[in-house]
Amino acid sequence: MQREGFAKVEETVRGVLRDVLGLSTERAAAFHEDTPLFGALPELDSLAVAGVLTEIEDRLGILIEDDEVDGEMLESFGALTRFAAAKALA
Amino acid sequence: MIDHYDWAGGREAMLRFGPDTCPVVVAALPLFEEANRTRAFVVTILRALAERGIAGALPDLPGQGESLAPTDTVRLAHLRDAFAAATRHVGGPAYALGIRSGALLDATATLGGRWHFTPSTGADLLRELERLRQAGGGDAYGGNHLSPVLLGELPTAGIAALSRTIYLESDARPADRHVPGAPLWRRSEPDNNPALAASLAEDIAAWVRACES
Repeated sequence: MQREGFAKVEETVRGVLRDVLGLSTERAAAFHEDTPLFGALPELDSLAVAGVLTEIEDRLGILIEDDEVDGEMLESFGALTRFAAAKALA
Repeated sequence: MIDHYDWAGGREAMLRFGPDTCPVVVAALPLFEEANRTRAFVVTILRALAERGIAGALPDLPGQGESLAPTDTVRLAHLRDAFAAATRHVGGPAYALGIRSGALLDATATLGGRWHFTPSTGADLLRELERLRQAGGGDAYGGNHLSPVLLGELPTAGIAALSRTIYLESDARPADRHVPGAPLWRRSEPDNNPALAASLAEDIAAWVRACES
């Protein structure tokens, strides 16, 4: 059950990155646990981060507080997914 | 064609589409940066409506588009007054097409009906603006300087009841209909989705005809 929920969150985060950053489906599909995000994806500047977080909130029905946002959670696809899953599946 | 309308604060431009007949669908773009990201999409919807024989209008509201009003003087009441003046200018009956925070702007206009695509409340908008301001690291909200009066109006700014509401499939909020598509208003580079625009124009045209009959 929990694993199923995690996979769903992962696909939601992947879809948000694809839609907000305008990535091709192929490029987004290739994201894995260790794919670096902030600082590595040129499309992901600080304003785009704001859009990504708000869209994740909307799609998962969660609230992300500003003091929870740091470099670590945006470091990799896996880190962002784990952060979102911890909220959505709590 | 380019038309103009007058409101208490001055004169603004308005694009007109389709036949010179009633009813007219008057569009309200979202506020601030999202207006740039959705303008081409809304124009595509209005052109598709025109092809279906329904007239459309896209007014520049104060602080938007070609408007000379500085964004930091604009208040919610001005935007609503200007939108209401635009709907009076086209002659009745007018129908509102509101997208995102544009759905906040038709509350005081006299309309045959309201059609909203992914409407966001004033509280939603304020939260996003605050996040943009923090991301930018200055006093501006995604490049715009905003009036403290407007920011104070947002927490209680609501959406008029009795509207037809459409959301994207990725959005779980209740709606009259959910449609597939990506949120163009989040993209930093403006994009368009002509297939979605055509499908929404079909929905609007059927709804306007049902309201009129």
